[in-house]
Amino acid sequence: MAYQLRDKLAQHRFTIRNIAAIVALILVLGWLGQRLYIWYVVNVPLGPQRTVSTHNPKIGVHTRLTDEVEPWKIKRSLEMVREMGAPWIVEYFPWAYAEPSPGRYDWRHHDLVINHATRQGLTVIARLGFVPEWARPAETTPLYLDEAQFPAFAAFAAEFAKRYAGKVHYVILWNEPNLSLEWGYQPVDPQKYVAMLRAVYPAIKAANPDVQVLAGALAPTLAPPGSPDGMNDLAYLQAMYDGGAAAYFDILAIHAYGWYSEPDEPPAPDVVNFRRAELLRQVMVDNGDGAKSAMITEGGWNDHPRWTRAVRPGQRIQYTIRAYELAQESWPWLDAVCFWAFRYPWDAKSYQDYFTFVSGDFEPKPIYLEVQRYAQE
Amino acid sequence: MRKNDHPATSMPNQLMQRFQPYRWLLLTLLLLLGLVITWFFMPPGVARLFRRDLTWQTLQANGVWRVGMDPSFPPFEWLDDSGKPVGYDVALAQQIADRWGVQVEIVAIGFDSLGDAVRTGRIDSVLSAFPYDERLTRDIAYSAPYFDAGIVLATSVGSPIQSVDDLSGRQVAVEWGSMGDMVGRRLQREGIPLQLAQFDTPDNAVSALVETQSVDALLIDQVTLRVAQVQGAPLVAAGPVLESNSYVIAMPVNAHELQEAVAQALETLRGDGTLVALERAWFGRTKERVSATDP
Repeated sequence: MAYQLRDKLAQHRFTIRNIAAIVALILVLGWLGQRLYIWYVVNVPLGPQRTVSTHNPKIGVHTRLTDEVEPWKIKRSLEMVREMGAPWIVEYFPWAYAEPSPGRYDWRHHDLVINHATRQGLTVIARLGFVPEWARPAETTPLYLDEAQFPAFAAFAAEFAKRYAGKVHYVILWNEPNLSLEWGYQPVDPQKYVAMLRAVYPAIKAANPDVQVLAGALAPTLAPPGSPDGMNDLAYLQAMYDGGAAAYFDILAIHAYGWYSEPDEPPAPDVVNFRRAELLRQVMVDNGDGAKSAMITEGGWNDHPRWTRAVRPGQRIQYTIRAYELAQESWPWLDAVCFWAFRYPWDAKSYQDYFTFVSGDFEPKPIYLEVQRYAQE
Repeated sequence: MRKNDHPATSMPNQLMQRFQPYRWLLLTLLLLLGLVITWFFMPPGVARLFRRDLTWQTLQANGVWRVGMDPSFPPFEWLDDSGKPVGYDVALAQQIADRWGVQVEIVAIGFDSLGDAVRTGRIDSVLSAFPYDERLTRDIAYSAPYFDAGIVLATSVGSPIQSVDDLSGRQVAVEWGSMGDMVGRRLQREGIPLQLAQFDTPDNAVSALVETQSVDALLIDQVTLRVAQVQGAPLVAAGPVLESNSYVIAMPVNAHELQEAVAQALETLRGDGTLVALERAWFGRTKERVSATDP
């Protein structure tokens, strides 16, 4: 029986060889086609060098390209930022994405964003954070960073600064460290944050002395003393100065949300409004740090129909433009106003969608067109 | 004859002989494996025939339907002066529960936590002007929409404007910055030469058409339109929804009997006119509520 089988196989050997060759050819062509497709998708042309046309050079937005996968969408987002008349963007560059294992870097996504942004003539303020799994204990969030890992974070920040020399001139270290949520659900600790600055700042400067380091990025909050959720931003900033932070940052990053009040509403320590930025500035001045500038790296208004901190859509437009104007006319100590958030990769189906300037499918919202009109006036 | 040519001693037969004593065991194992594979990979439609819906069974056993909502969004849901949840969604939940012969238990939850609450089984359903989210369909099942709060073109009764194609050269009122404004600007970009008249509030846009007739049409959300209609404004929607914003009932993804029961109930309520009656009953009360809370 086995011999009969062998004979039959021998008879069809030529046919089997042909079939195998055809299958192999199909596989090779399929693989080549796939590579070609990937090359085509990944290599969206950067296009010619552009410049931003605007009459207010402080206009900016916080883009949200971290989880945007498709290169053409990254490019389109940044084109639309330029076309709106905003020369500044803040973008998040997660440490975990760039260094998935110690010392092994994958810069592809960061390259994509930075190359397209700079080609559009945008100035990138890079927000660094998001701890890789290998740099934190199990069962902690990516916002948890032990002091033992400050050198590892410093090494990443230095690599980042070196790699993007000439392209990225500003980096923000961490985000809203005065909130427990953003501090890995630990009790907030200004001194530990200062210790982080002390570790990371010199490493960045050694790698690229031209980079300006932003610190703070504090959440505006009226949390009472001892709150497990966070610390009042004014108190936190003062505690930073008390801990010697002044020597370890160049620019203060400010978060300035207006909630339901107009941008001209006077500031007060017990009120969260847009001009709370002036109180943070005063803390800088009081601590002899008035020569430094500040940047608003998050902020703005929301027009969700059911969120309690929202305003009407028309008010959002008025307030946003007025805030850009206020910064330009009255705040010489402020370099940029980057409002949250230009566009999300997908609709959040919550109040968050009503912070955006452009819908997920790139349809410009009226606020986008009105800011564009203001910028081109 | 060579040894291996004998059928009784060929390879397959040797194998069969070796496993002969275990054939029933092997068959049983194969059958079990097949059942396991079928159980986990059967299509949802087939799975429903075999799997029990614990959410529905518990609901039936307790006689209570736990409905999550954020009671802060009139006319769909809010708290009356005594702190009791009222509104269109509350009434709709009651209508559905009545058809099932169970009580409704309203569970107040912040809007952004409603999805998690249904996923974790804290509640049986969400009924809270809740939008459909295509990203969450692996975790949450959604009913068909019971209301679309999206943007429509609205005109006066008897207007010659029947659709956006008739807007050439017309004045169209919108709330400045709203979705209606966005749709109006989109229509302009698409080549329809309409003129947008922007107002601070949707009510002022409605007044421009109904009271002063200074515009020809409106681009407004369906809630504003319904409220105006219930209050007597002679307005109609012209054409389809231009920017959809559907409200749905969200349920656990495995609660197939509950999903079926909700689908049937909504169909019945739509067919017998109850949904329209609920709109009339509740959408006209928005302004009452707003004025009552004004300082």
